[in-house]
Amino acid sequence: MDMRLEASLGQALLWSAATIGFYLVAKALYRRWRLWWLTPLAVTPALVVGAVLALHVSYADYIGGAGWLAVLLGPVTVAFAAPIYEQRGLIRRHWPVLAAGMAAGSATAFLTGWGLATLLGLDDELRLSLLPRSISTPFAMTVSGDIGGTPELTALFVMLTGVLGAALGDLMLNHLPIRSALARGALFGVAAHGAGTARAHEIGREEGSIAGLVMVLVGLMNVLAAPLAAMLLR
Amino acid sequence: MTAARIAVSLRRSFHHSRLAQIALIAALWLVGEAVVRVSGAPLPGAVVGLGLTLLLLATGRLSLFSLRRGANWLIAEMLLFFVPLVVAVVDHHELLGLLGLKILVVILGGTAAVIGMTAFTVELCCRLGARHGHAA
Repeated sequence: MDMRLEASLGQALLWSAATIGFYLVAKALYRRWRLWWLTPLAVTPALVVGAVLALHVSYADYIGGAGWLAVLLGPVTVAFAAPIYEQRGLIRRHWPVLAAGMAAGSATAFLTGWGLATLLGLDDELRLSLLPRSISTPFAMTVSGDIGGTPELTALFVMLTGVLGAALGDLMLNHLPIRSALARGALFGVAAHGAGTARAHEIGREEGSIAGLVMVLVGLMNVLAAPLAAMLLR
Repeated sequence: MTAARIAVSLRRSFHHSRLAQIALIAALWLVGEAVVRVSGAPLPGAVVGLGLTLLLLATGRLSLFSLRRGANWLIAEMLLFFVPLVVAVVDHHELLGLLGLKILVVILGGTAAVIGMTAFTVELCCRLGARHGHAA
């Protein structure tokens, strides 16, 4: 019994340290090369998954050790109060435009997710888990649970959406006639949450703060609308 | 006099301590969770904590400087906290192969549509607003 406790404590320490260590390595790699596919958002999970597979550890054992890190997503959600409050002037000035963009973007995310998934014959679990992919993880997992998806799958799809959306937004901005900073920032915040916001910050200060604000608001909007969506989906 | 001075220096050190601010944010989160548990509201506790924090900020009971450092740190390192969840992919071998490719198509197609739709909606609203003489 004591030995088992020690073993699981060792596992917890090992996997927590490995996760944090790989995260620091991934951040250093990105700082050095700045390639879109080297984003820590993709590299960190890839490294951890590699280690878990190489050592033949089950996900249950891994999450038992490093799961406490995910609990911190709760305080992260509360922390968003600071940027929202700091940007209250921007919200007051532009709320109708931002609300229209967020509603249009969220509706598009749900409809295209549903439509494409149905077209390709994906089952219900995957289809529902794909719907909240565009919003920030803490919000997306809540919505996923509400509408009957699998929050862990959603977390994975959110990560993929962030990586691809940040790159895609960059690419599309070069070809679309979008001039206002409000639109240039909003597209990153609505479509690609934190990864998009990071990219928007590289484009410009105004775009970055708009993307960050929109990311939080669209997440909140989705969480508040999720019970309604759940009723429609059933 | 001395009590007031102690209060001021306490506040100043709080405004500089990231760790204390993270603890405060975590406490606000726990309050949100408790409110949901007691009231049975159909909202995540973290969102209630967020609303409560905004309320405290708006009514001036809480200064932005009391949580800004902690909040910025939590948000900047957010990615680390959700890595453990993404690792769940090791339990989903079915996602490697054709099914994974299909999911990639859904995500790519859907995200391109969301980007286009959001950008055009906001841009259109801005231009309409500008034409009607409002500051867009």
